[in-house]
Amino acid sequence: MKLQDIDVAVIGAGPAGMAAAIRAREAGAENVIIMERAEELGGLLHQCVHNGFGLLYFNEDLTGPEYGNRFIEKVMDTGVKPLLETMVVKLTEDRQIGAVNAKEGFITFRPKSVVLAMGCRERSRGALNIPGSRPSGVLTAGTAQRFVNVEGFLPGKRIVILGSGDIGMIMARRLTLEGAKVEAVVEILPYIGGLIRNEVQCLHDFDIPLYLQHTVTQIHGEERVTAVTIAKVDADRNPVPGTQRKIQCDSLLLSAGLIPENELSLMAGIRLDPVTGGAVVDETRQTNIAGVFAGGNVLHVHDLVDNVSWESELAGESAAKFAMERDLGEKGTINLKAGTNIRYIVPQTISGQRDTTLYMRVNEPQENVRIKIGDIMTKTVRAVKPSEMIKIELSSEKLQKVNKETKEIIVSCEKRGGK
Amino acid sequence: MAKKETFICIGCPLGCEVTLTIDEKGKILGFAGNKCKEGEKYVFEEYTNPVRILTATVLTQNSAQPLLAVRTSKPILKTMLAQGAAVLARTKVKPPVRVGDIIVPNLLDTGVDVVASANLSS
Amino acid sequence: MSQIKTEVLIIGGGIGGAAIARELSKYKVDATLVEKGPDVGQGITKCSSTIMCQGSNVLEFRSEYHNSRLVWAGMTMMEPLCKELDIPLKRIGSLELIKNQEEMRHPEKMMRRFKEYKGKYIPDEVEPLQFIDRDTLRSWEPNVNKSYLGALYDPNIAVNDPVRLTIALADNARKNGIKVLLDTEVMSISKGTDEFEVCTNNGSIKCRYIINAAGEYVGKIAQMADADDFALYPVKSYQAVLDKKLGGIINHMVLSNENGMVAPTIHGNLFFGISPGTQRLGKAHDHSTDKKLADAALKNAQELVPGISERDITNSFVGFIVFRNFEIGWHECTVGVSRWVPRFINASIGFPGICAAPAVAKEMIDILRNQGLQLTENPDFDPYEKSMPDFSELSDEEKRQIIAKDPKYGHVVCRCETVTEGEIVEAIKRGARTLDGVKFRCRPGMGRCQGGFCGPRVTKILARELGISEEEVTKKGGESRNLLYKSKELLEAQQ
Repeated sequence: MKLQDIDVAVIGAGPAGMAAAIRAREAGAENVIIMERAEELGGLLHQCVHNGFGLLYFNEDLTGPEYGNRFIEKVMDTGVKPLLETMVVKLTEDRQIGAVNAKEGFITFRPKSVVLAMGCRERSRGALNIPGSRPSGVLTAGTAQRFVNVEGFLPGKRIVILGSGDIGMIMARRLTLEGAKVEAVVEILPYIGGLIRNEVQCLHDFDIPLYLQHTVTQIHGEERVTAVTIAKVDADRNPVPGTQRKIQCDSLLLSAGLIPENELSLMAGIRLDPVTGGAVVDETRQTNIAGVFAGGNVLHVHDLVDNVSWESELAGESAAKFAMERDLGEKGTINLKAGTNIRYIVPQTISGQRDTTLYMRVNEPQENVRIKIGDIMTKTVRAVKPSEMIKIELSSEKLQKVNKETKEIIVSCEKRGGK
Repeated sequence: MAKKETFICIGCPLGCEVTLTIDEKGKILGFAGNKCKEGEKYVFEEYTNPVRILTATVLTQNSAQPLLAVRTSKPILKTMLAQGAAVLARTKVKPPVRVGDIIVPNLLDTGVDVVASANLSS
Repeated sequence: MSQIKTEVLIIGGGIGGAAIARELSKYKVDATLVEKGPDVGQGITKCSSTIMCQGSNVLEFRSEYHNSRLVWAGMTMMEPLCKELDIPLKRIGSLELIKNQEEMRHPEKMMRRFKEYKGKYIPDEVEPLQFIDRDTLRSWEPNVNKSYLGALYDPNIAVNDPVRLTIALADNARKNGIKVLLDTEVMSISKGTDEFEVCTNNGSIKCRYIINAAGEYVGKIAQMADADDFALYPVKSYQAVLDKKLGGIINHMVLSNENGMVAPTIHGNLFFGISPGTQRLGKAHDHSTDKKLADAALKNAQELVPGISERDITNSFVGFIVFRNFEIGWHECTVGVSRWVPRFINASIGFPGICAAPAVAKEMIDILRNQGLQLTENPDFDPYEKSMPDFSELSDEEKRQIIAKDPKYGHVVCRCETVTEGEIVEAIKRGARTLDGVKFRCRPGMGRCQGGFCGPRVTKILARELGISEEEVTKKGGESRNLLYKSKELLEAQQ
């Protein structure tokens, strides 16, 4: 395959990139490449040795590597060309890609379309601005996961975890099963950041204490962490004086949020949504730059990998179509606006002419609610939580109700049975 | 004397706290707190037969990869997770291994095998 | 335990010690620098703001102070020094913002004082201060709070990377014949009639002259030789580095009279900080950040530049200023021979120390001569260093060339800062032995994810290049190992 003949270039070979590349091939794109900085396909799935993957997509309870392997095999079967150990360092607004690898050096080319699938990164200690000294032994849960599950090392044996994101809770279980003692999981909010099944199966199963509405107020230790101080927080998330207590530990793991990785998107001038941290897209997952699409965690942080795969397939399919037809027709002209208790909606704009899958998250947990998509449709839901995405399918028939002049549709989540 | 035990249902984001009432012989007398039938089913399973899939790693020999990801092919009793992990701490594998290959047959007499959940090349 | 002999012993591998070592290397002299840590520039040098050439910034202080004189002298030396050592230095200029009519008198006063001191204390090359009005301020800095009435503009202020400068100074000193001993901590000093015997964790060192450049430990070292009484007066400042995406929004260092400031770094980030003036804060040697100072700094920074958000902070740290003898005034340098012990010379640099370092080093030569040291020029002195390649700054064509020469440059390890394996290997070749050592030489882990992604990879490369196991790799030497156990080790211990 010559570089100048590439139809679809997918950046990133995690679950999003693999699903997008496979679907792009299946949708008819001839030359599809997938560019990955690591030495193998699969992204973070290799280090996610726990199960819970594919319950929706495959109807099976798979581990991360198992889920990844199914896609890796399909990448090979469908004739997608992987370009491994290759880092994309440049993306321009006219879709010019610059990448480096040891074999070919610095390469530049312009594919007919691009899918952004760079995933996300974890919020670091610096980003969390945790007071205290600067010893070793403070690391993000995902970094710890790589050390424990891939590299063969344990960061320590007495662990405190700040944040109750899924990776943090899963690492609490992993480290316990590796013989470490997890002293506490500390969450600043009144509810956990991850899925309920992880609270039950990772924390309760192993009697790991969970401190809600608490935070780490100080890190101790000059060279290595020796302890952390935790304290209760008030409604404004400020520490309550007199509630501090010191917990001896040798490691502090951070699991307090993920940020879509949009270095390249910014370089290309792609418009980002300040709430999701990812690109603003329409229902084809096309960004404001024609022929550049995005899917998975680079677009918004997902709850389940199954949703990452589905969404990225959509981006891959659109990218293939764009590569072949140079145009996708109707653009997103109707803005979806977050109303009551909605934090964000992806896509941010829709054309109203095609079947559309909406993903959204709420601000606050709520029971017995009605999700209203303007006056197009209403869906009743028993419970919503910020940690779990809501997925709503809008058929093109339903969308016919939308008036041609409509500029904005408000999406809201309201209590059922009156205000 | 009837006993009470509480569970958090993981069936949906609601996360109902379900309280189970059990008589002295361990017989279930009733459920409270669940908002749907699924909750009762989940809690019944969690009380009578709480099982989990054990996922872990084993050390490798003769491979650039220091660890291989493994899992139990079926769920095992959750009370056996730690014991299972201890067995896997003593297990070493050599390449080649394919996803699904049996690493430890019949783990702790549970009748469940530990299988590779990733490939291992030399 | 080894025993070595040296003529001059420099204690401390911060910017001061390194600058002195490099200055001494211009002469034929047997000199040794000892540093207790595994790398140079990792004490208070690391915590300093990256602002240079703050000469006119200290106009407020009395001109006869040692400190002001050294800072003024140092500021004109900084640019040529950085050129020789191939360290980037960028003149950004500072804007001291004027909030209300009352503050309007301040620029006038400073400009008058500047004129008065020019040629006398302030070197001729220093550019004059200017007042700029509201419209000019807005056109220069459209993202600064619109309510300010104008600013006092100091075109001399520059930024660079003090740790890299320190490393380059030490490298250049070593190249020109100075011995540099790392991981060597001074435990005690005994005085003979003609020489000192300095006991370290790595053996003893006999020397005739001691230069005490131990930074925040200057008092401790002086005490070992009964050479001086230093009142350690720690003052904490707080600095936070912001995400690169905010890089271009501010071009100058902007500051208010509430001690808050926002400025670009040499690496294209933005940073903000606060120093609480002369208020004593924190325990000695306590480098921990605290929430109160962090909150105040953020509030100040947002007042100056409303576009700054807490969400964009990627890292924060404490700056640490050590004062001596605060009764006579603040920001005091102590550069000179001990009052009680001949041939024991203190080189404690006050704020803004980085800028004064080259002048302190020059002055040290005179002091040593006065103390009887014979110094003749080193004819082989080579003033130049070549800084290591910065892959992210190369053009497309240069990237092609460097990868063709060494394929390790085609392997990007840190994605936030685009750092390649080639650079990391080069940094280790040049002396990095810890994660921080690599980080301060070529920046992996300095970006948005703070090493979350590249940390395990840099650990691997360090272990491979140094021929040690990954568990032995430390963040900053000592007990700062990153990985305490091997997989299954804890489970086996329990069985």
